[in-house]
Amino acid sequence: MAVEQPTQPTLGDLIYDKLFHNYVWKSIFRTGYPNTPRNQMLVVATNVFLHLHPTRIHRTHVKITHTYCLGGLTFFMFLGLTVTGILLMFYYVPSVDRAYLDIQNIQTNVQFGQLMRNMHRWMAHAMVILVFLHMLRVFYTGAYKPPREFNWVVGVVLLVLTFLLSFTGYLLPWDQLAFWAITVGTNIAGSAPVLGPKTRFWLLGGFEVGPDALIRFYTLHVIGLPLLAAIFMAVHFWRIRRDGGLARPL
Amino acid sequence: MATVVVARPAARPTPRARDEEVLVWPDLVFVEFISALLFTVLLFLLSYVMNAPLLDEANANVTNDPAKAPWYLLNLQELLLHMNAALAGIVVPTVWLIILAAFPYFDRSTEGQGRWFADVNSVKNTVLSLMVGFWGTLALIIWNSGKAALWLKDWFGFSGGDTLAFLERSAALKDPSVVPWPGWSDSIPYLWFNLKILDEGPGAGVTTFQHIDLPTLLVDIGIPTGFMVGLACLLIYALWKAGWVLTRRDALITLMSGFVGAFLMLTIIGTAFRGPGQDLIWPWDLRTLEGIPGQE
Repeated sequence: MAVEQPTQPTLGDLIYDKLFHNYVWKSIFRTGYPNTPRNQMLVVATNVFLHLHPTRIHRTHVKITHTYCLGGLTFFMFLGLTVTGILLMFYYVPSVDRAYLDIQNIQTNVQFGQLMRNMHRWMAHAMVILVFLHMLRVFYTGAYKPPREFNWVVGVVLLVLTFLLSFTGYLLPWDQLAFWAITVGTNIAGSAPVLGPKTRFWLLGGFEVGPDALIRFYTLHVIGLPLLAAIFMAVHFWRIRRDGGLARPL
Repeated sequence: MATVVVARPAARPTPRARDEEVLVWPDLVFVEFISALLFTVLLFLLSYVMNAPLLDEANANVTNDPAKAPWYLLNLQELLLHMNAALAGIVVPTVWLIILAAFPYFDRSTEGQGRWFADVNSVKNTVLSLMVGFWGTLALIIWNSGKAALWLKDWFGFSGGDTLAFLERSAALKDPSVVPWPGWSDSIPYLWFNLKILDEGPGAGVTTFQHIDLPTLLVDIGIPTGFMVGLACLLIYALWKAGWVLTRRDALITLMSGFVGAFLMLTIIGTAFRGPGQDLIWPWDLRTLEGIPGQE
């Protein structure tokens, strides 16, 4: 009777062993390479970014038509906007004297500057559309129902924050489009009974769109609102886990 | 003996059978990675072929006509043309957001979740409400812009004259020649003292807070509120009588779909059909620059 003999390790096995079974790799990733079910679960559970997910999910939830990835894509837009936004911040000074020139400079003199600005602009529009579509998906799949009531409310807050993030960014190029759009937008806010004019004054730092408005919108756009959005997103994602993952038929 | 009553949550996550589950790595992570990659490529391509707009430097002395808010606020800007500014700009969006946030507290049933249009009537309710919201909003915009009267006159030689001027636009109702308002009706005092904190002075709204201007109040607040609340209630009531709205979920689907239809129409009109002086015009008559209709 023939006895099965161990085969010699191939070159691929040797490379794999050197890459993933060494001291440095294991100091970064506690688990081995995710090629076994055990390691695949461990890699999700022990990775700070991936542990937003559970290790297993219901099979219907990986179907693209269940969510169309709309919530995840909205978050991805937020990340992309952060990256492109930081790159734009290297070259942009929020003063009336410099803002417009800086944008022109970004478009003409900065390597890939026009591309970065375009990406930031179109991603912002995409985020507004995606967050709205995500809300519709959650509504029409009945995913707001118990026990996910509070997470729906957090989602409504995030919808408003997305609009505000986009709105505050609109002024920063300091061109005619920005100036008059914000003038119209803040006039809408100023029309509120009793508190409207005071809100408008607080937003603009004066009676009309000017240097004070620019610095306020900039600060809100790059620090205040993203920080607030990040906090609410953390709660939103955490609650998805705590409320039992994505909604599915009971 | 005291009895301790522990509140039970309305619903709990249900346990799942293991054989119905898949691993997040690689099944879900792969889907997420591909969709992120796809969108990155698409956005790079879009950014390559289409530049973000940059007009002349901001100048407070040169007014853009039409001056438009960002596109996602153009629905509110469109509303502003038809009603009191505070109602359109603040009250309507605030009330709607509160209603939106309250959805799950109104519809507390756990049935029909996790599937698209799970309820029996949801598809037909959605389609019908969407259409009513969409085309109904268009009809109201056309009526209140006076275009309907213009077309009636051009095409059929029909002219309502002064007595039927309200058929042309709601603002005509403020005119004493159309409605015989008594002289005192535009300044009805209801506060006998001057509450300064409330009085924002001229231009603050339809009234100062010491007097009510009844015709303006009726036309700029009463009629639009009546249409918005009344039509929504009427739609839900009609569908309830027709047997399409049976549950709270059905009512919410009707409300939400009607809103989406109206929201889309308002945004489309505000973006593509409003020209200089906020007049209704065809999109091809708008001057365009770098893909932004209506902006120069």
